[in-house]
Amino acid sequence: MNQPNNVCEVNVYNKMYNEHASAIWRFIYFKCGNSAQADDLVQDAFIKLFQNCAKVAPEKAKSYLYTVANNAFLNEIAHSKVVLKHQNQVTSHTNKETPQYLLEEKEFSEKLQRAIADLTESQRTAFLMNRIDGKKYKEIAVILNISVKAVEKRISKALASLRKNIENI
Amino acid sequence: MNKDILLAKWLNNDISIKELEELKTFPAYVSYMKIAEATTQFTTPDFDLKSNFEAISKRLNNEKEAKVVQLNPYATFLKIAAVFAVVFASYLYVDSLDTTIETQVAEKETFFLPDNSEVVLNANSEIKFNEKNWSNSRALSLKGEAYFKVSKGSKFSVNTNNGIVEVLGTQFNIYNRENSFYINCFEGLVSVSYNDTIIELPAGHQLKIEESQFISHSNINNDSPAWTTNESNFENVTLALVLKEIESQYPVKITTKNININKRFSGTLTHNNLNLALKSICDPLNLAFIINGKEDVILYAKGSK
Repeated sequence: MNQPNNVCEVNVYNKMYNEHASAIWRFIYFKCGNSAQADDLVQDAFIKLFQNCAKVAPEKAKSYLYTVANNAFLNEIAHSKVVLKHQNQVTSHTNKETPQYLLEEKEFSEKLQRAIADLTESQRTAFLMNRIDGKKYKEIAVILNISVKAVEKRISKALASLRKNIENI
Repeated sequence: MNKDILLAKWLNNDISIKELEELKTFPAYVSYMKIAEATTQFTTPDFDLKSNFEAISKRLNNEKEAKVVQLNPYATFLKIAAVFAVVFASYLYVDSLDTTIETQVAEKETFFLPDNSEVVLNANSEIKFNEKNWSNSRALSLKGEAYFKVSKGSKFSVNTNNGIVEVLGTQFNIYNRENSFYINCFEGLVSVSYNDTIIELPAGHQLKIEESQFISHSNINNDSPAWTTNESNFENVTLALVLKEIESQYPVKITTKNININKRFSGTLTHNNLNLALKSICDPLNLAFIINGKEDVILYAKGSK
């Protein structure tokens, strides 16, 4: 494997951007639910990486980006509710596409969305990184700088909270 | 095992068949499954990779420009420093410039050098010396005629285009106009070097050098040059030189008609009366003169008109 030796090199930097920018953007979006804010924070993080490119080793760059973006997020005050898009092909693998079923599905999806928005920021981030980004707990633990056990705890609490919210509404 | 952790493991596809069987017995399992399935279908709004990358590039460029602007206060400081440097350098330059003292026609000046040596500068003459460096080297350059009373001290030298006069402490007169170089020593001893020759001139002696050639070495009996008492004293000099001296002491222009200006003249001229001075020249040489207006003097041989 060709080990990139310096983030200052345009190729290395661009590769870093193409590989991680979207995931970092979603990571911030899970937290704040504001795509414009997420845009700004991702830009800030990559600019900071560029300015410090000589000091950041390539293998550390990914966690550097997450840390910078997260710190920047914590410094911002305004958070809005997380709004997720529901993909329409959700039921394509089933044969129960009756109007009533579709309505129920829609209702359930909306309830679920509201419940996700009501999760705490740390639970929601860990949960959505797993559900939407498909990241394993180990990976999430590295990014959030916590133990895998702590990730499991956040996920299970998120699950319990979601179920409770949906069934109570 | 804790039910909640089991759920988390299940969500991570990190669960054994036995554990899964156990989980399936939970009444809430169906709801969890529904949640798990539904959430995988969620997605966030799209992140625009390209436009954000462009925004990053643009902001990085702006920041580079901003950094250049930040350097400006330093540049301003440099500008101010440069102005001070120029002013200081000019001050040093002006300060190190030679001091020049010159006299116009019909003007004499007495002044003191930094070591209190007295200089009497005859009319139409110039002395240049470096005040700053005077204590290191007592040297000056002379054009014209001057009388020196040198304080005792280190070597005192007078540089002229015709030669160099060096003394330790004495009184002497130097006449240095065009190619005539006359030195009168009134006290002490002066050393005159010209054209590879060095002559030591004791008190009461006069040395005459013309066109770098030795002319005469004779005794004098006055104790200061006559010109310092507003008279010019000549001993066997050419008429041309005498006329030049008249032009130095009086604001006149002298022209000659049918006269050999290499005639020799000895005598004394006053600096206060042009008519008398011209008479003093003309009578012994059998010449006549006319003063035209204020500035023109014509000399001619008697009877040639």
